[in-house]
Amino acid sequence: MTRQEPTQAADRDEPCDPLPAQQWLARLNPARRNFLKTLAAGASLASAGSLLEFSANTGQAQAFAYEPYPKDDELTTVVTSCDHNCGSRHMLVAHKKGDVIVRLSTDDGRYQEGGKFGFESEQVPQLRACLRGRSYRTRLYSPDRLLYPMLRVGERGEGKFKRVSWDEALDYVARKMVELKRDYGPTAILDQAYAGSSYGVLHKSDQIEGLLARFLGMFGCRTNSWSVPSYQGTTFSSRTTFGTITDGNEDDAFAHSKLIIMWGWNPAYTFHGGNTFYYMRLAKQRGCKFVVVDPQYTDSAAAYDAWWIPIKPNTDAAMLAGMAHHIFANHWQDQPFIDRFCQGMDAGTTPEHLKDQENFKDYILGRYDQTPKTPEWAASICGVSAADIKKLAELYATTKPAALKASWAPGRASHGEQYNRMAAAVQAMTGNIGVLGGCAEGVGKGWHPESVAYPHDEYANLWWASIKSDRWAHCVLNYPEVKREELGLWPRADKFDGVIPNIRAIFWHGSDWFNQLTHINKQIAAIGKLDLVVCMDSTITPSGLWADVLFPIATHFERHDVALPWYKGHYYIHRPQVIPPLGEAKTDFQVFTELAYRLEQLDPGLNGFGKRYNPKAERRYFHDNAATDEAYLVDWWRDKVQKRQGVSMSWADFKKYGVYKFELPRPHVAFEAQIRDGKPFPTPSGKIEILSTTLATVRDWTKTQYGYPIPAIPKWIEPFESLNHAKARQYPFHMVTPHPRWRTHSIFHNIPWLRETYQQEITVNAADAAKKGVKTGDLVEVWNDRGRVVVPVYATERCLPGVVVLHEGAWMDLAADGSDRAGNPDFLTLDQPSPAGAFAYNTLLVDFKKTTLRHRPGWESEATSRASIFRRDK
Amino acid sequence: MARNRKIDHDELKAALERKLRQTEQAARPARQLGFVHHNVDCIGCRACEIACKDKNGLPPGPRFRRVLPIEGGRFPDVYAYKINMACNHCAEPACLPTCPTGAIWKRGDNGVVDIDSSLCIGCRKCEAACPYGAPQWDPQEWVVKKCNMCIDELEAGRKPYCVMACMMRVLDIGPIEDLWQGRWPTTAVGPGEKPVRQVRHMANPELTGPSIAFVAHRKGRVDER
Repeated sequence: MTRQEPTQAADRDEPCDPLPAQQWLARLNPARRNFLKTLAAGASLASAGSLLEFSANTGQAQAFAYEPYPKDDELTTVVTSCDHNCGSRHMLVAHKKGDVIVRLSTDDGRYQEGGKFGFESEQVPQLRACLRGRSYRTRLYSPDRLLYPMLRVGERGEGKFKRVSWDEALDYVARKMVELKRDYGPTAILDQAYAGSSYGVLHKSDQIEGLLARFLGMFGCRTNSWSVPSYQGTTFSSRTTFGTITDGNEDDAFAHSKLIIMWGWNPAYTFHGGNTFYYMRLAKQRGCKFVVVDPQYTDSAAAYDAWWIPIKPNTDAAMLAGMAHHIFANHWQDQPFIDRFCQGMDAGTTPEHLKDQENFKDYILGRYDQTPKTPEWAASICGVSAADIKKLAELYATTKPAALKASWAPGRASHGEQYNRMAAAVQAMTGNIGVLGGCAEGVGKGWHPESVAYPHDEYANLWWASIKSDRWAHCVLNYPEVKREELGLWPRADKFDGVIPNIRAIFWHGSDWFNQLTHINKQIAAIGKLDLVVCMDSTITPSGLWADVLFPIATHFERHDVALPWYKGHYYIHRPQVIPPLGEAKTDFQVFTELAYRLEQLDPGLNGFGKRYNPKAERRYFHDNAATDEAYLVDWWRDKVQKRQGVSMSWADFKKYGVYKFELPRPHVAFEAQIRDGKPFPTPSGKIEILSTTLATVRDWTKTQYGYPIPAIPKWIEPFESLNHAKARQYPFHMVTPHPRWRTHSIFHNIPWLRETYQQEITVNAADAAKKGVKTGDLVEVWNDRGRVVVPVYATERCLPGVVVLHEGAWMDLAADGSDRAGNPDFLTLDQPSPAGAFAYNTLLVDFKKTTLRHRPGWESEATSRASIFRRDK
Repeated sequence: MARNRKIDHDELKAALERKLRQTEQAARPARQLGFVHHNVDCIGCRACEIACKDKNGLPPGPRFRRVLPIEGGRFPDVYAYKINMACNHCAEPACLPTCPTGAIWKRGDNGVVDIDSSLCIGCRKCEAACPYGAPQWDPQEWVVKKCNMCIDELEAGRKPYCVMACMMRVLDIGPIEDLWQGRWPTTAVGPGEKPVRQVRHMANPELTGPSIAFVAHRKGRVDER
């Protein structure tokens, strides 16, 4: 552990007041100084590892050429982590001087009990941060930071604000909230919090159980958004089939597979687990074979030297059905596993009370609709040859153990839930569930952390209406002439059942949903009808520009918390307040607490709201939160981590080291207890429900949150739009909108360091590009009935013809003609969710052509050199 | 800023003498260190690039470490891999003799080609001379800068920031002769794999003697063209 104070006198500490925008880069590179000729401090050698021999003959540290001059060992070291909903949670280590972070590093093995430089093992890996995390200093000190409360002065969306005091901003919001609740009832405020700043145990933005949900719930006015943009289809599948979304292995389990099928999965881009990609490398070294089923030859396909099977988007369920047919036809299924653990896989596993229902095998064999789902049948839909479907089916059925990792992306589509359920059925029929090296993953949540240190009680998720998240604009524009099934209105047992919410306000908390939900043009039409839009963020986001009130929220570098792993990983990372909040930023917990106190003064019915919302805090919490936050964290560590998880390390030691890594006796595998020990699955039948007991008994689908029928077994259902659709004659390209590597959704889009590594561009097959007369770098406009965007082209052989790829999350930049010049695909996406709630992010047809319209990438790429690696000998 | 810099004459004189010495007779380091990178297993995430920029406090523009994506073939028979390069800390650096102020020199202990940017007058001759694009122009400070293998970290007994950033553990450093001979233990090289000195598109190593080792992609091997 290196935790010494600076040994060299600082020239001067940088002021922590924010700098004007034009000076922000200078801040990254503080004023140059002369050579630092300094004795190599003895303390710095104390942590030396095996590399010391490299520098044996250096009595004196030589010139160090670059700013910032201070060496790591002359700076204060503070362990923290990254903080976004990216798929992992890596360590960041701040090296700071006074209150200025000079640079960041990451886990190198030193920051745990008994740690030393360079230490890691397969059981206890380092948690090395990705490119986004490594760029965090520029996000923290970005000119786009929101530093003061702001009130809108122009038209909504015009982006004109004035700086106001916290008093004025808080009183304005509190007054409006009371009016809205009084005039429009308990559904007037729409909760659009999201996971943009979640995964702390104390400060948490989250869709369902974050701080905002409890705040609005206790206030008594909240419409909830229930469908999760990233993986609602998958969630539905996992809950239906296994009864839980905790269907994931820990990432080290992947090292034990003999075959890994990355179905729509690109772990080189979207990290599902902190070291998954690394463990897959270990698997490769141990002889594992890889397959990628994806319209793109991704970096994952390249790195794992995978067999690439290009597939037409949204036809995944058909291909899986074809594989199932081939497996059944050759009797390769694991029948003892099916008989013991599955419900409705075939006639023999269908219980008496569901005998009138279709079973999966007879559906696949075509006994109900006289259409056997043969590989040939599937080939005509998905564009993959029957021979390849058969080959993959045989490979998967005969290789043990094999991991079919059915990723979320193909599920972010019309009837995406059917793809995930079909994958679950194929995973089950081959017996690859509950065994090391197999995989049951849909959602893929692995080890369970103790995730909550904030007050969490019966108010944590109160709502008076709950809708599919991307139907809010439809609701606002058509209110009250909306049917409940159009909104996916969640049923209730009281008088609010079926009552269409009268949405008059939106709260964004850790959420850039205006930029990220489907069909942005429809949202733009809807937002003008609202009375209040509040945005709480650390950054001025594209959504924030459409708000009435901006609350500056402290980043996780500026507040005390503990970081959780994200779906996979078994560790906690302490996150002290590394620097004081910049500007007038406050933590989200401070803002909600203060608002609660102000609301109780305006509305006597809310007696004691402030104290009830934040029981450990006094009224001065808004100005002094350190002791209260510490008290919550200490309780969490003692009552949950120590008592429930058997951790003996003290809170003080945890803070001293920085990270607590659990060492599991062997890799955690989902459903091991069910398969090995016969424990029932948490489904109604206790089995893996290929045939769902719950779905089989639904009579009136309009009264469910789904709104429209969902078959009780996985089935191939034609998507709303696809290349097989008549509409493809007008719009001949199927667009998919995957998660990029250089952003976490929209977060980090404004970071120049990251912008140097990529550009927002539309990936097009080279032959398609040639037909359109465009080449890499040319600008095209891409359009359909819903919108138009302008982006450069990347023409490549690595993409299936007929498919175009545009990564989600670019910050919208509207031109006067209504087109988006940044290239945000959500101007084109469809706001029609799948019955189970899956967003149709990957279900859209478009056309494109060369254009003279300007693209606005959002940063000055021209201003910098673009050094490429080999300059001469190309 | 280079344009405002007053250079100390004694410092300059010493630097020029050092340059002359090292130009006439290339420095023979006690133990030449070099980078090793696995072109196939690299996922191209560029954590190394960003870690480097943060370490060296670089503005947009200069990128000491660059991940170059290579792709080829025709749909659906395609391939792709990554080449990841910073400064190769050459045996006979092409940049060194070009420097009119002697700001560039090669270290005697580990062979790191270092630059004293406070002597740099921004003439950019070294940038033009290097076949690998290692010295880079800082458009804000008007000087050239380059990778020094995080010499401060080496001297503290640690590895450079880019190496410690690698999420796939495919980038590493070591004594370059040992790496070439396959006798240096490193996670960058997998079991049964042998590093090479050159890959396709890379300048002829005879020119400057770059201290670099790659595990090449089958399409990137120069000996199987």
